[in-house]
Amino acid sequence: MDFRSLRFKLTLWYVLILGILLISFSSFLYLTLSRSLYRDVDHKLRSLAELIASESTSPLSKFGFGNIDQTLEASMNLKPIGKFIQVLDESGRIGRTSENLKSVQLPISLNALRNGSKGLITYETNHSLGNTPLRIITYPVKENNQVTKMIQVASSLEDVEDALNTLLIILIVTVPSILVIASLGGQFLANKALKPVDRVTQTARMITSQNLNQRIQTLKVKDEISRLIDTFNEMISRLDQSFRQIKQFTTDASHELKTPLTILKGEVEVALRKKRPLHEYEQILESNLEEIDRMSKIVEDLLLLSKADIGEIRLNREDIHLTRFISGLTEQMKILAQPKNIRIEISNHQNEIHVFGDTLRMRELFINLIENGIKYTEAGGSILITLTKETDPPPDLEHGPAKREALRRAGGSVNLLTSKEKKAVTFAKIIVADTGIGIAKEDQEKIFNRFFRVDKARSREQGGSGLGLSICKWIVEAHQGEITVESEPGKGSSFIVRLPLYSHLRENLDNY
Amino acid sequence: MRILVIEDEIKVANFIKKGLEEEHYAVDTALDGESGLYMSEVNDYDLIVLDLMIPKIAGLDVLRRTRSNKNKVPILVVTAKDTAEDIVKGLDSGCDDYLTKPFEFKVFLARVRALLRREKVDTEPILRLADLILSPVTHRVTRGEKEIELTSKEYGLLEYFMRNPNKVLTRTMISEHVWDYHFDSMTNVVDVYVNYLRKKIDKGFEPKLIHTIRGVGYILSPDRP
Repeated sequence: MDFRSLRFKLTLWYVLILGILLISFSSFLYLTLSRSLYRDVDHKLRSLAELIASESTSPLSKFGFGNIDQTLEASMNLKPIGKFIQVLDESGRIGRTSENLKSVQLPISLNALRNGSKGLITYETNHSLGNTPLRIITYPVKENNQVTKMIQVASSLEDVEDALNTLLIILIVTVPSILVIASLGGQFLANKALKPVDRVTQTARMITSQNLNQRIQTLKVKDEISRLIDTFNEMISRLDQSFRQIKQFTTDASHELKTPLTILKGEVEVALRKKRPLHEYEQILESNLEEIDRMSKIVEDLLLLSKADIGEIRLNREDIHLTRFISGLTEQMKILAQPKNIRIEISNHQNEIHVFGDTLRMRELFINLIENGIKYTEAGGSILITLTKETDPPPDLEHGPAKREALRRAGGSVNLLTSKEKKAVTFAKIIVADTGIGIAKEDQEKIFNRFFRVDKARSREQGGSGLGLSICKWIVEAHQGEITVESEPGKGSSFIVRLPLYSHLRENLDNY
Repeated sequence: MRILVIEDEIKVANFIKKGLEEEHYAVDTALDGESGLYMSEVNDYDLIVLDLMIPKIAGLDVLRRTRSNKNKVPILVVTAKDTAEDIVKGLDSGCDDYLTKPFEFKVFLARVRALLRREKVDTEPILRLADLILSPVTHRVTRGEKEIELTSKEYGLLEYFMRNPNKVLTRTMISEHVWDYHFDSMTNVVDVYVNYLRKKIDKGFEPKLIHTIRGVGYILSPDRP
């Protein structure tokens, strides 16, 4: 048995407490019983002594004659069996004695004599006569306020001591036996209570990253252990999910990288199989370069996201005049939109919209969104960027702990606003709406997932890494904002970005 | 030998097509599962090269549907999915070989040859009829001691003949296995090429190997039919 085990400790405590209780109870029982037995003896001695005293002082009594036994029997019809009686005169000389004393005298102590002469009753236990102790009462008899004689009545304590000894033996035998049995029982109970814990331990030990789909078997009864099991299972589920996500992410990333690698390797190998004209080599090199760019983009984006994941990216936040900022960006993007003859327009109702952001990341965010719009809009379409302020809090501002954690890690110097504070926040709302192909309902929530592509072939042709929107989402959330999409297939998509206004952040900045 | 490449990544499809064509195979490409499956149903291919992650109909479904159509064409899966489970799933769904991306083109070609050979009872890597020998690995063709120079189409035509010796081959069969789908069946290109080939392998040799079956097609056989 392991002495550090909970099972041992539980049993030990159980036995210890039970032992203390049993010993206290036994002591109490023993003491109470012995006191009551002794008192009983004293009581009987005294009442007999009183009887004899009253008899001896009675004027009608024939106390002066014959032996005491006969006198008592004659006058009171009393046969004091087992009681020794001895009458002393006031100076302590022994007078008459009961028959059963024969030639023996009851011992009388100095203390009793002294008490007796003062008229006080004395109880004594004497061990000098034989093997058994005697309980003796020395009862002074007063006549006319004068102690005339002392009556001693004694009784053997053998019965009492026998009874007490028997009780003691019973207690000494039974208490340890009960404790032994109790310790076994306690062990059994502890075992029974802790068995599920062992099972939890076993299952938990077997679970590795390879078999996270396993769960600990739940109990029918809802107790502490079953709560523990539930908690464990929930934890395993969460682990399972994050492992799955990581696995999916790694698989996706490797697939994304394998395609350009396959093309590079294949094109070069085929090219090298024979001599070719110069222009063919040029074509192949150009195609290779495209693939290398694609790979660089994927690697760059992956690096950015993994840094963002572990919170390694710090934002250099400053006051950004959003209206001016986006106008500037749009001018640059118009060059990209020209070949497809796509118009980009800005509509802003408020001129002074400031946010507190990292210029570089904000650029990346809006370039990504506008580029996406250009990619998925047919020639001749348009992209409309709307800038407004929004006072109402967006619908899901009650962030869950996971989201809050993500924001905390991603956030710069400003902490996440709690939902209470958020109510007061006014947001800059930026809508990038295109007239493109749109996104099917079932894909809308997935488009921010890493490597998710609505149309794989199309997106590759456009040179995307499949991570652009994931990065947008990260940027927005790192700025305590949120990004959503509304789309109707065939009509176009609107990406809605909400960022807290700088004015609000500045007012509250001191508090953070 | 005519090969269908089903692959959504255009550049991959293109270099596979180019590499195969330079090995004298006739190659068609399909960019999604749906058109790939359709083409495999209407044409008689000698081999299908199939990517698994393709739009419209996934690669594994193309495999299963091809097999459930009782089409026994050899299928070589070429995919980025490289886990053991993926490979097992692919082979169990009915493909004959599994190659993971990125791959060595030499290995790819060797697997193509192996699969084309597997279909025939004769598994010798060299095709031989009388004293005419064709090596699919080196593309060398010899008759007796003499080496014969062939153009790409002539080589393709001869390989098809030699993989189906002593069998009457109609003009349609020949055009389907040697030319890709750009072939215009209204012309007499098949007859022209058979004549070119006949000049190169039969002229000055005995016995004659290519015989015309009037109104039907041609047969490659050492014996006169």
